[in-house]
Amino acid sequence: MSFDIELILDSIPKMLVGIGLTFELLFLSLALGTALGIFLLILRISGRWYLAAPTMVYIYIFRGTPILVQIFIIYYGLPQLEFVRDSIFWPILKEPFGCAIVALSLNTGAYLSEIFRGGVLGVDRGLTEAAAALGISVRQRFIYITSPIAIRLCLPAYSNDVVSLMKSTALASTITLLDMMGIARTIVAETYAPYEVFISVMVIYLVITWAIQRTFAWIEKRMSRHVRREA
Amino acid sequence: MSKADRQLMIELENVDKFFGSFQALKGVNLTVGKGEKVVVCGPSGSGKSTLIRCINRLEQHNNGKIVVNGHELTGAVKDIDAVRREVGMVFQSFNLFPHLTVIDNLMLAPKLVRKTPKAENRKKAMRLLERVKIPEQADKWPSQLSGGQQQRVAIARALCMNPEIILFDEPTSALDPEMISEVLDVMIDLAREGMTMICVSHEMGFARSVADNVVFMDEGEIVESGPPGTFFDNPKNDRTKLFLKQILSH
Amino acid sequence: MAAVSGWWDDFFWGSLVVVELFFVALIMTVLFGLIGAGAKLSNSRVAKSIASGYTIVFRGTPEILVLLLFYFGSAIILTAIAQIFDPEIKFVDFPPFWAGSFAIALIIGSYATETFRGAFLGVDPGQIEAARALGLSNLQTFIYVRIPAMWRLALPPFGNHMLSLVKDTALVAIIGLEETLFVAEQAIAYTAKPFTMYIVVGAIYLGFSTIITLTVMGLERYANRHLEVWR
Ligand SMILES: Nc1ncnc2c1ncn2[C@@H]1O[C@H](COP(=O)(O)OP(=O)(O)O)[C@@H](O)[C@H]1O
Ligand SMILES: [Mg+2]
Repeated sequence: MSFDIELILDSIPKMLVGIGLTFELLFLSLALGTALGIFLLILRISGRWYLAAPTMVYIYIFRGTPILVQIFIIYYGLPQLEFVRDSIFWPILKEPFGCAIVALSLNTGAYLSEIFRGGVLGVDRGLTEAAAALGISVRQRFIYITSPIAIRLCLPAYSNDVVSLMKSTALASTITLLDMMGIARTIVAETYAPYEVFISVMVIYLVITWAIQRTFAWIEKRMSRHVRREA
Repeated sequence: MSKADRQLMIELENVDKFFGSFQALKGVNLTVGKGEKVVVCGPSGSGKSTLIRCINRLEQHNNGKIVVNGHELTGAVKDIDAVRREVGMVFQSFNLFPHLTVIDNLMLAPKLVRKTPKAENRKKAMRLLERVKIPEQADKWPSQLSGGQQQRVAIARALCMNPEIILFDEPTSALDPEMISEVLDVMIDLAREGMTMICVSHEMGFARSVADNVVFMDEGEIVESGPPGTFFDNPKNDRTKLFLKQILSH
Repeated sequence: MAAVSGWWDDFFWGSLVVVELFFVALIMTVLFGLIGAGAKLSNSRVAKSIASGYTIVFRGTPEILVLLLFYFGSAIILTAIAQIFDPEIKFVDFPPFWAGSFAIALIIGSYATETFRGAFLGVDPGQIEAARALGLSNLQTFIYVRIPAMWRLALPPFGNHMLSLVKDTALVAIIGLEETLFVAEQAIAYTAKPFTMYIVVGAIYLGFSTIITLTVMGLERYANRHLEVWR
């Protein structure tokens, strides 16, 4: 049992072929999940119980069950239902890629809406009152005062969630997708060299995590220039 | 000014305000004429903030009548934002928008509400900053200013919508002592220019020099009110006397 | 739901496996978290860098990758050792239960490391000084002042770690542990009702999440009972 350098050099380019799919899964579900998160947030803080209550149930269910189970329900489970097969969503839901995107977006949207809510609740009430006292409308207050401040407040949590989502994309390999993880598993099945292959792909994932964290640290620094004091 | 030709800007009639079962205002009556300055004082928790927050409806009163510049604030108010534009407010904790520069703090409301051209808003904002004596800070962030400077920006911001009335809620209480006078000076200037003002404050010197009427509140009620001369030198109510003794001993 | 009727007992035993896995992994998580936090707070540069490496790697890598690496990696070693004694042996694996609980505990332990470290540093130094000034010994101060204060700070994030932990147990089905997801797969092979079976799994996990959430809420109330206002 020795560490096979040649195998590593051989398999890294193969796994990097899957990085495109990993990124597609990440960016697409992040965009959709963010939009969903904002939508859920607005329902949640609408002040109308018949909008807020279903939202809370949704968030509770998606945060209370494993993402793997959610992926399986959507990919393996939904085809059991005839109305799903007859619906306009079927072209998306019959493909593993579509299912992975749907599952990851629905899941991350639930987490993100809670993160966004934390940001909104963190905005000092005095600021929205000051805007109200100037005659600025409720909607404009939300857009021009609450949102920009809330975004900065929830950036660190958002960054963590992007990393979580990136890690969850690896579960797409359980529904036959050949993302980086899927390719790594295929190579391991062929060569039976888990150490070399899995550790190589681990390094690639760590680099991506690092890049995500650096990017958000940079954004945060830029967005916080107004709190830096110049002596 | 005689009673007859006094044009009423603010009228409160038997106003009650409840927070749950707690009554923060108990049958408050108050009138403020155009150009008049009212200073409100009283112990902490007596309902001073609640009183002025009802005037621009940051709080909704439960009973009684409030009329502000001809707008009745009772029941469902049709366009509360329109009323609020006529009433400026300055808070104890400044509440400047931290993500906007000083000048943008002043230009936001005109941009969103009046939709006037940017150049015009900017010119106006600069004029107001000159009026509060800090034009050189226009492009800084609020966090880079001292407390006194921030509060002067907040006053300028309240003025940028050309309000007919300004409400001040303890504007100098959060300031270091050496910064109080720079803010009071700006307020005295405003008073001289004929602005209608209600000011919650314990600055007795300020009250003596600008107030037409001083109001003392305790436990949600107006206990005593009158022109500063009589109020300070001949208070009638025991609670007023006690309160004045306490703040003067400081 | 009729399709599930023959499978309740299997789901029950599967749930029991989840519970066992949860508690075993929880104990190891606390252990890893305490060791990690201790190392990060120590004065030893070596210990500090090992602990940082640990948290960086295990928080930045997909959970499924860690799990597969552990399972197949340990199998390689075990098989190699076994072959020394009997060259006929083809495959010896580490029991999935132990590989799974160990891998999950390492992952969640890396988060717990940060939580415990933060809680230790978050204790108001004034409280510690006050205890010393009263003449309490180091040990007494630690037990009566620092631990209760730390526990209050660590409880909310640790509650979230427990939720992640229970949800991660679903992954262990991938390496063949007979927990609920595995039961569902068998049931599907007989009944061809994937949606029904996976929904049952989801419901079971939602139940576990609810129990954990309620327990943590109860513990938080207990830990913060001194903050309750008398009315
Ligand atoms: N939003 C609120 N909810 C409940 N009670 C409140 C609220 N705002 C004020 N109060 C109560 O009303 C009373 C008057 O408060 P306030 O008007 O702020 O007093 P002051 O400004 O004179 O110090 C206080 O007892 C305060 O606790
Ligand atoms: Mg007050």
